[in-house]
Amino acid sequence: MFQLQWIWHNLKGYRAVYITALVLSLICNLLYLTTPYFSAQIVDIYINNENAAANLANDRHGFIMLLVGMIGFTFLRTVMQYACNMTYEYSSQGMIYKIRNHLFNCIQEQDMEFYDKHRTGDLMTRVTGDLDMIRHLVSWVFKGMVESLSLFTASMIYFFSINWKMALLLLSVTPFIFIVTIFLRRVTRPIYVDLRERLAKMNTDAQENISGNRVVKAFAREDYEIEKFGESNRNYSSQNKKASLLWLKFSPLMETLANLLSVIMLLGGGIFLIKGTLTMGEYVAISGLIWAISNPVRNLGVYVNDLQRAMASAMKIIEVYYSKTKIVDRDDAVEFDGRLHGDIEFKNVSFAYDGKTVLKDISFKIKAGETVAIMGETGSGKTTLINLIPRFYDTASGSVLVDGVDVRRHHLKHLRQNIGMATQDVLLYSDTIDGNIAYGVPEMSEENVKVYAQLAAADEFIDKMPDGYDTLIGERGVGLSGGQKQRISLARALAIRPAVLILDDTTSAVDMETETHIQNSLKNLDFDCTKIIIAQRISSTKDADKIIILEDGQIREMGTHDELLAKKGYYYEVFKLQNEGFEKEAV
Amino acid sequence: MARNRYDVDETLETPFDFRHLKRSFVYMKKYRVKMITAFMLSVFAAISGLLGPLITKYALDVTVPNKDIKQLVLLAVLLIISAVISIAFSNIRGRIMTVVGQDIIFDIRTDLFAHLQELPFQYYDDRPHGKILIRVVNYVNSVSDMLSNGVINVILEFLNMLFIMLFMFFVDVKLSLVVLSGLPIFLLVMFSIKTKQRKAWQDVSNKSSNLNAYLQENIVGARITQIFTREEVNADIFDRLSNKHRKSWMHAVTFSNLVWPATDDISTCVRAAIFFVGLLLLPSGAATLGTVSAMTSYASSFWQPIMNLSNLFNNFINNIAYLERIFETLDEPATISDKPDAKEIGDITGNVEFKNVTFAYEEGKTVLENLSFSVKAGESIALVGPTGAGKSTIVSLLSRFYDVNSGSITIDGKDISRVTLRSLRSQMGIMLQDSFIFSGNIADNIRYGKLDASYDEIVAASKVVCADEFISEMPDGYETEVNERGSKLSGGQKQLISFARTLLSDPKILVLDEATSSIDARTERLLQQGLNKLLAGRTSFIIAHRLSTIKNCDRIMYIDNKGITECGSHDELMALKGDYYKLYTSQHI
Repeated sequence: MFQLQWIWHNLKGYRAVYITALVLSLICNLLYLTTPYFSAQIVDIYINNENAAANLANDRHGFIMLLVGMIGFTFLRTVMQYACNMTYEYSSQGMIYKIRNHLFNCIQEQDMEFYDKHRTGDLMTRVTGDLDMIRHLVSWVFKGMVESLSLFTASMIYFFSINWKMALLLLSVTPFIFIVTIFLRRVTRPIYVDLRERLAKMNTDAQENISGNRVVKAFAREDYEIEKFGESNRNYSSQNKKASLLWLKFSPLMETLANLLSVIMLLGGGIFLIKGTLTMGEYVAISGLIWAISNPVRNLGVYVNDLQRAMASAMKIIEVYYSKTKIVDRDDAVEFDGRLHGDIEFKNVSFAYDGKTVLKDISFKIKAGETVAIMGETGSGKTTLINLIPRFYDTASGSVLVDGVDVRRHHLKHLRQNIGMATQDVLLYSDTIDGNIAYGVPEMSEENVKVYAQLAAADEFIDKMPDGYDTLIGERGVGLSGGQKQRISLARALAIRPAVLILDDTTSAVDMETETHIQNSLKNLDFDCTKIIIAQRISSTKDADKIIILEDGQIREMGTHDELLAKKGYYYEVFKLQNEGFEKEAV
Repeated sequence: MARNRYDVDETLETPFDFRHLKRSFVYMKKYRVKMITAFMLSVFAAISGLLGPLITKYALDVTVPNKDIKQLVLLAVLLIISAVISIAFSNIRGRIMTVVGQDIIFDIRTDLFAHLQELPFQYYDDRPHGKILIRVVNYVNSVSDMLSNGVINVILEFLNMLFIMLFMFFVDVKLSLVVLSGLPIFLLVMFSIKTKQRKAWQDVSNKSSNLNAYLQENIVGARITQIFTREEVNADIFDRLSNKHRKSWMHAVTFSNLVWPATDDISTCVRAAIFFVGLLLLPSGAATLGTVSAMTSYASSFWQPIMNLSNLFNNFINNIAYLERIFETLDEPATISDKPDAKEIGDITGNVEFKNVTFAYEEGKTVLENLSFSVKAGESIALVGPTGAGKSTIVSLLSRFYDVNSGSITIDGKDISRVTLRSLRSQMGIMLQDSFIFSGNIADNIRYGKLDASYDEIVAASKVVCADEFISEMPDGYETEVNERGSKLSGGQKQLISFARTLLSDPKILVLDEATSSIDARTERLLQQGLNKLLAGRTSFIIAHRLSTIKNCDRIMYIDNKGITECGSHDELMALKGDYYKLYTSQHI
């Protein structure tokens, strides 16, 4: 099975340890068979013996030795068992740790398409709940299987050595065990696959409810949310019941088979005794150990059941584990030394998303150090256009060139390291303000952080906060106003001193005075930087070297502020809308 | 509690005590009939299981020496019957308890989720969301078995133990005391590791919570990671968190794994002690050999339930770490909640009055001081002023997202702190700065404003906010699937959808907090025209930086210095040549 191969693959580094653990648990289990030996000896020699009293009087030493042996062996066994359990924990934790890190890396390397497809709660389920099933499999299920199997085999061999007829009779049950097990495997599989889907759904619902708590409250939709979550909670719960009840349908079969062994022992053994093919001593020896074959039969079902559950989870993890992103470094990637200049060129770029054309035949050039503003209606493709520069997507046709080289032939990381971007949907982390601004340069000193905060006109309000730069802000920057978040996001983008700075609607929620401050900072940066600014306000765009007006994914107008005003097109219209009545007031 | 982040353990405000345990009984109480039935079934199953050895003994002692094959077959049939009864009983018990266990965690989860809905913003603002999530999903799952089968098994094993103890004392008192002598040692071992074990498992729960928090933030912020090429740094942080989790786990199992072997050792020692005492120490004749032999087998039977109990105890200790976190969340006070005597506000017309309102998010940091103003129904009010001046705070207070520190806010003369939150908020349309999109299709997202809205209503609302055009152009139109952080929608489009959602709710009071910041000028213009019609008859509060958005409002309030510094119509304020005039003129080229 592929999942098992995958687990084996991930046990790398822990394989020897894990196999040691398996062997240890095998030995421990066989040691279990020795414990009754000592008490049996004591009973045989010192209690149920004609000369019991004499034996006790004459061989006190032997008696004590048996007691010491009994305790000593138990200690030995328990110590070994402890060591063995810890070894299982050690290797399973080690493996889980490796897989978890790999999954995390895998997820964060994925392209946007992946994120459009997978919901946050679902991805989280894979890294947490599903992975825990794998841990359970490795540290408990496999162990149990090995123990059961070894116990069963060892006892069977022992039985054969005592009386092969009796042993064969007992062995006759095994085919049924296999049939039941195989059937169990087949029917439980789909149920567990469905169960973990429902878990993921519940996780997603809860996650979105928590993230969207403001909207829930704003619309007073608590009851609706409770109902909605209640449904996924109920679905999960009922599937869980279904899975357990299905298992409970099978467990009586396994139990019956296990009990059948005792019945065979009684009936078959009894008949053999009567016929004389089995001695009383042999009977006692075998029936005393009947648990060593019936318990494994009993437990096998449990293990198979858990195995199926883990396999369903493993499938989901593997899906992410091996998922490939389409946007990767190419073999013919060009080596760049150090910093890029920041020349950008779009050559006949078209881009389609979900079968819908978003950008059509876009061509323009930006020289290093220039400032370019992009304007256009909602949904005209502005954000998509800038997303092509750091290669969040690949173009459908045409090419995007940075420093004269197609972005697809840049090393992805190097390219992105040269781009500073403040996205429209400001995402901050539950960390200090300092940590948020220094996100791209974690080792940055606080003084430097302050410098970039000043450039972004954020220093003043940060200083006023209770702990200044050490103030913890909530997830997504809750607790800050929209304008404050935007400024932190701008400072964060500036802090990496990018060759290309992309601002996607970054000053939409700040007041004019602040915007002026920001514009001045951007003009006087102490490093060379090409700036691409998406904005809706003329005040943000008017000083740009070039203004691009997008409409339905095509360039409709392009030029400087004055040129575009003279053109009396879209730009002029927006200009007029935003300055309406101004002439009147100015008079 | 101070604000928390991913790499800081949350301190437990209320340490565990046995009241928590009592509290979990509340959840079980509902199912007591089923649980008692299950318990009785287990007892029957155990008794019928006891028949097996008796039958075997009889067969060996009587039937086999008599060579009575007929009787042997009869006994085998009896054995099968007793086994089948026993299996049937335990199976029914299993079925009952599976359902009970699932129902209990369903109940806990429902309560937890419902309580979370009551908690104020503050709660969500103060900790990473992954830490809340893990409680609702993972922690609740962990306690299911403990609260269902666990409880029954504890009672069963306990009874089993008592039962055997009775038998033991019946057979021989002195040797029984030897058997019991192991108990203090056992308890000593259990209690000496208990404290450490409990702490260790609490640590595990903290570490997994931290891990979850970091994971969630990074999935949501994947694009930021990529643009800042933080992959390696993040991987290191995650590695550290993951490693801490692993270490805490290893630390915890160091103790947990001790319990079973220790009990095993004690039990063996006790059996050895019986042989020793019974055969050597006691004067001969005090204990017959038969007694010693019986006592050793009783000792095994007596220690078996104890070993099982120790295992249950072990599980219990592990899961308590999760249970206490669940109860902690349930105990979190819903600071903004309906007063006991709160009434429905009834249909409102929209007269709003702030009377001497003072408010601070944190003590000593007053945001608004002695703010008073009144707004007549149907008026449109624009709030302007520098960022961070308290504009959003004013509308948050009006929606009672926070309670005022002093003063009062009334709507139609009714103090909003004395009416039910739902009746208040359901008549208000609040459009926040962040436009949150739920995963689902676009129509569902708009329908969130009015759950029973028809398709036509949804389209109509979309048309008013100029969203219909782009939605219709999407591959599946209104049925297009979108999600929280999806890239299918642009920022402006998200705002338009959330705008349509707000309008659909047909609010009496409309609050727009930077609602149109990402929308282009031309769309905004069209939007304005639609809006003007809509605003008629509704009281509205608009916060915007683009003054073109707010110029047409009836009154404009300039918010600064913890209060209103200027107030009046656009023309009046322009004539005043104050802050607003400066702000307005600075926006023009």
